[in-house]
Amino acid sequence: MKNLLETLELRKSYTAGKVQVEALRGVNLRIREGELVAIMGPSGCGKSTLMHILGAMTKPTSGQVVIDGHAIAGMNDNALTGIRREKIGFVFQKFNLLPTLTAHGNIQIARYIHGGRGDGQDQHLTEVLQLLMIEDKMGRKPSELSGGEQQRVAIARAVANKPAILLADEPTGSLDSKNSEIVLNMFRELNRRFKQTIILVTHNPELVAITDRLIEMRDGVIVTDNDPVSWDTESEMAIRRR
Amino acid sequence: MNKQMIIAGLKARPVRTTVSILAVALEVTLILVVVGLTAGISNETGKRTEGVGADILLQPPNSSLFLALSNTTMPVTIADKVRALPGIKSVSPVQTLVNSSAGLEIIYGIDPDTFNAISDGFIWHKGGLFKNANEVVVDDIYAKAKNVTVGDTVELVNHEFKVSGVVEHGKGARLFVSLKTAQDMTGQNGKASLFFVRLNDPDRVEAGIAGIKQLLQGYNVIPLKEYAKLMMSNSMPALDAFITTVVFVALCIGVLVIFLSMYTTITERTREIGILRSLGASKRFIVTLIFQESAAVCLFGVVIGIASSFVLAQGVQVVFPTLTVLITSHWIARASLFAILSGIIGSLYPSLKAAKQDPVEALAYE
Repeated sequence: MKNLLETLELRKSYTAGKVQVEALRGVNLRIREGELVAIMGPSGCGKSTLMHILGAMTKPTSGQVVIDGHAIAGMNDNALTGIRREKIGFVFQKFNLLPTLTAHGNIQIARYIHGGRGDGQDQHLTEVLQLLMIEDKMGRKPSELSGGEQQRVAIARAVANKPAILLADEPTGSLDSKNSEIVLNMFRELNRRFKQTIILVTHNPELVAITDRLIEMRDGVIVTDNDPVSWDTESEMAIRRR
Repeated sequence: MNKQMIIAGLKARPVRTTVSILAVALEVTLILVVVGLTAGISNETGKRTEGVGADILLQPPNSSLFLALSNTTMPVTIADKVRALPGIKSVSPVQTLVNSSAGLEIIYGIDPDTFNAISDGFIWHKGGLFKNANEVVVDDIYAKAKNVTVGDTVELVNHEFKVSGVVEHGKGARLFVSLKTAQDMTGQNGKASLFFVRLNDPDRVEAGIAGIKQLLQGYNVIPLKEYAKLMMSNSMPALDAFITTVVFVALCIGVLVIFLSMYTTITERTREIGILRSLGASKRFIVTLIFQESAAVCLFGVVIGIASSFVLAQGVQVVFPTLTVLITSHWIARASLFAILSGIIGSLYPSLKAAKQDPVEALAYE
């Protein structure tokens, strides 16, 4: 299986008030295509910062990130936007659906931004909607949906364009236990049925049960990885050269 | 898809959308009605002056095209000299008066015989010509506007006049007194502020003008057929400046309202912009979206503004029959363009601000 995502000596520091915070202190990570990975750790360990960098939402202070063959650390805003559009799907804790659009509109806007006309529905999306059991909710606005339904619409939106990587930041953080279980099972199904690469950032231990691999972070570094991908000198040098 | 987002965005904030649309409509209405009123009055005055039937208008040096604003006069005896020129059929002296007690009305002090020779006479609706210094002839529009008829008394320039007759409109002024009365009221005995000249051959206006100019050097001599054209605002530096000011003020209103509307929209929708950016929407996409939303507001505003301008123009003519609002397609196009322009200017900064937002910070916005 090819490596879909690689980071090398990833560092990120920022200033909060007068304090310099080192959120990431040299993260080396490899994610294989089709993996379902959980990144866990206590609050402030740097997992959300890592996710923002992996999602091309923010740039690292130093180090390199390669997403599906594209080194993004030195990219400008336009290029990063292109990576987000083409390669990444996001699921957030607070769902982040556009409140003025229906569930259908929320999914179609993602397709439109991706370059489609935004008015069609292909086989992939039909299957996703079936899997997520929200086909009959498409005409509703977010305010007319339950939290679990909103999160399933957000998942459908995130995978509508078949992204290389689905990044989910605390996807069950705003859900009750019943809906959390439903949503987690759907991540599992998406991964199994569509071979979707998924990275879940969480501190929910229940979520770990459905993943293939658990990465734990503390103080801006990875402290454990139960299924690490080995680094050979040649590939490391290749990333460094980018 | 953009259309859906724009409509949804506008519908989500109905009060602000309505206020913004009405502000743009106000901008368009302000331009069309003020310009229309100015152009209408100028044009109507010009056409009414043309309607006298003369071929040439003769005025003293340094006089204004606004006949009412000319203080300069010339001796009535000039009429005899002009009449003696070849090709001249008749010359009629007119002393103008301005009645500003209720609006701005021009009163012609006329010599009935020569004025009739120029204009082929009045078409009478009621009554007849003034017989003494305290009588006035009014046109039908004035009579309707002021609700007066023969025998009624009207106050003009602090004098009371009895209406002796009502005539068809279109012969220069709406009010006519005797030349002697006008001269007495202005203290310009034996003087006239303008002459209407009629030629034997209306096709020889240039020759007629040349003859008069040779006789009276420095005097203003213009073909009356061009008078209405000259009275249009773009030929009048003062009117042009006035209209420019009105358009500028209207444009400022539009820019400020659209700016405020879009700026608050952007602030409220920071999170939505963050969502769009996280989905891969480019800065250009965000800028375009906001411009399109602003354009939609302007478009609705333009349509409502044009419609309300026509309604207002009708209303003005019902309430003030002596006023004309001339709404031309040229100014409809310009007002629409100004409204769209104000939308572009007003939404420029908010759209750039939105596009520059960091997606992570925007998503964290509460």
